[in-house]
This record gives sequence, structure tokens and C-alpha cells, in this order.
Amino acid sequence: MTVQDAASQTALAELLLAMADDEFVLGFWDSEWTGIAPILEEDVAMSSVSQDEIGHAKALYELLASLSGEAADEIAFGRAPGAYRHAALMNHPRTDWAFSIARRYLYETADAVRLESLAGSSHEPLANLVRKMRREETYHLLHFDLWLRRLTEGGPESRDRLIGALRDLWTDAQAVFAPLDGEEALVAGGIMPDRLETLRRRWLDRVVPRFAELGLPPMPAAPAPAPDGRRSHGPDFEWLHGEFTMVAASEAGASW
Amino acid sequence: MGAKDKVWEVFRQEAEGDPMIHGGSVRAPDEELATHYAREFYGRRQESERLWIVPRDTIIELDDPDLLKPPFDRSFKRPGGFLIKHKLEAARIRAGATGAEPIEELGE
Repeated sequence: MTVQDAASQTALAELLLAMADDEFVLGFWDSEWTGIAPILEEDVAMSSVSQDEIGHAKALYELLASLSGEAADEIAFGRAPGAYRHAALMNHPRTDWAFSIARRYLYETADAVRLESLAGSSHEPLANLVRKMRREETYHLLHFDLWLRRLTEGGPESRDRLIGALRDLWTDAQAVFAPLDGEEALVAGGIMPDRLETLRRRWLDRVVPRFAELGLPPMPAAPAPAPDGRRSHGPDFEWLHGEFTMVAASEAGASW
Repeated sequence: MGAKDKVWEVFRQEAEGDPMIHGGSVRAPDEELATHYAREFYGRRQESERLWIVPRDTIIELDDPDLLKPPFDRSFKRPGGFLIKHKLEAARIRAGATGAEPIEELGE
């Protein structure tokens, strides 16, 4: 299906930007573990998974660029911090290992629900890309579920740190499903097979029982995501933005 | 490396039908993480069709020189037969090694 009406076109661009920025920003945060992860093997694994996310972001930016006529690199590196649309979950720095694992688990499970739904999108280029991404995300899900379990079983310190991080991130994790401008048009045209709030409930139905299964205490009642869940970012992201745009900004318009 | 970590040897197959070749090793506490790390170290660049992940302590090692390198000439057990390099050299010297066709060497 081609996206004909202007409202759907704009909303599709918002959706692609939200997904791409989630993957891009998380990929950069977790790349910070390169060289300092708890063990050498995990150092390679975390770096590799983070590169996967940046690869997914690249594919999404390219799809967006093909709709808007901009250059993918320009979208990725050329915006001011306030123009990024990642969820509030990605506003936090790497912090400690338990924090990074907690965020990764929350994101991977949320992303899985979102991708499952979008694999049925009426917009073929998006559905095709999502089907490819899902095959790689299978491993990400396994890897971070494994780490969630290990930190739960790893003794009081790792368990306490994990619980603290999950609680600190719980509200911002809901923002992966923050309402999108023009969402109604996307749902009406089948570009999004489900509303984001439906997806959020589906996600909660998976992670809440998983926490119970692992003997983790219940999370606070999940508030519906704030409408600005993808629009307010703060100083930690501004710092990261300075880092990941540094090379691109060093010589504007250079060809790499 | 944690106290409970073990070493796992990883074998990889580059294409369907190729032999499994030793790729290297990873450290991990159990099969699950060993599998993830083997995937990252020997498969993340899509260079492997298949991996075998084997705990090093289940490998039976044989390196006894009495069993593997006994001090006798056993070259006749090789497909090429006896080691006859020295005999060929002696024959060349006897023949004067002039104008004669080079004698093809057998064995090492």
C-alpha cells in the first residue's frame, strides 16, 4: 500500500523516527560498556548487540529518508537534541550493570511487542523491515531475559540493584508506548495494526507475570505514558548527543 | 572470570557440508551463556553455518609420546610408504647425477 494522504504520511514519519531514535540512542548508551563490561565475553556480546541496534536504526532512518527525501545520515546526526523522539526510557545514562540490564530487558520486551504487531503493517516496506529486525531481536530477548534472571538469582546485592533500577525506570518504560501524533490515521489505514495503548497492555501482560515468576516484587501501578514521553529529554541525553554527533559535526557535509 | 566459569571449545562450520574446524574458546559458567558467547565470538559476522560448543573438560586428550611418536621409523604406515629420501640421495650420488632424469621422491 502506498501512503497517500498527508496525515498518514506525517504520522508514518513520526512512527519511524520514534522507532529509529529508540534503537539509535540505546545503541549508543550501551556501546559505552565496550572495554568495561563485567567479563570479556559479555563485553563483546553487549557491544555486538548495541551495534545491531544502531544497524536497525540505520535501516529505519533509510526508510524514513526514502519517504521524506532527506539523507539518512542527516536525520541521524543532524538534529538538535530536542528533535529526537526516543522514549524517556532512553534518557538515562548507562549507570551500573544492573541498570543497563533492567533498561535493556524493559526495552527489548516492549520492542518485541511493537515489532510483532508491525510485522502485519499494511505498509509493505515497513512490514518487510520489521520481519528482518525480529529475527535478530529474538537473540536480544533471550540474552537480556537470561541476564535479568541471573541478576535476580545472583545474591542480595545484584537483586537489590536490579529491583532498584526496574523501579527507577518503570514509569519511563511506559513511554515506549507514548501516544503518537496522527496515530488514529495510522491505525485506520492498517499501517499500525494496533493502537499503542493496546500494545502497552500486551507488554504489561508479559513482563508483570515474568517478574512474579522470578520472585521480584510487583512494580508500582503502571501510569499511562505521558503525552510528552518522547519529547522531553534532559541533560544526560544532551551529553550523549554531543558525543555521538561529535565526528559528524567536526566537518559538516564531509563524505565519509 | 567468575569462580564457576568453565572453558568451552568452539568448532565452526563455514558452509553446509564443510568440516567442523576449531575456532577457539570462550569462558562461561554454563551451557546457556556459552552458547550466547560462542554465537558472539564465532558467528556474529554471519561467518558460520553451525557451531559445536564443547566443555573443554569433556575432551579426552592424548599426548603420550610413547603412543603417538614411538622412536622407530614407522613411515611405511603412511600412504606414501617408506621414507626413502636418503636412499634416493645415495642412488643419485652413485649414478653421478648427470644427465639422468630426476627421480621422483616418495614420502618425505
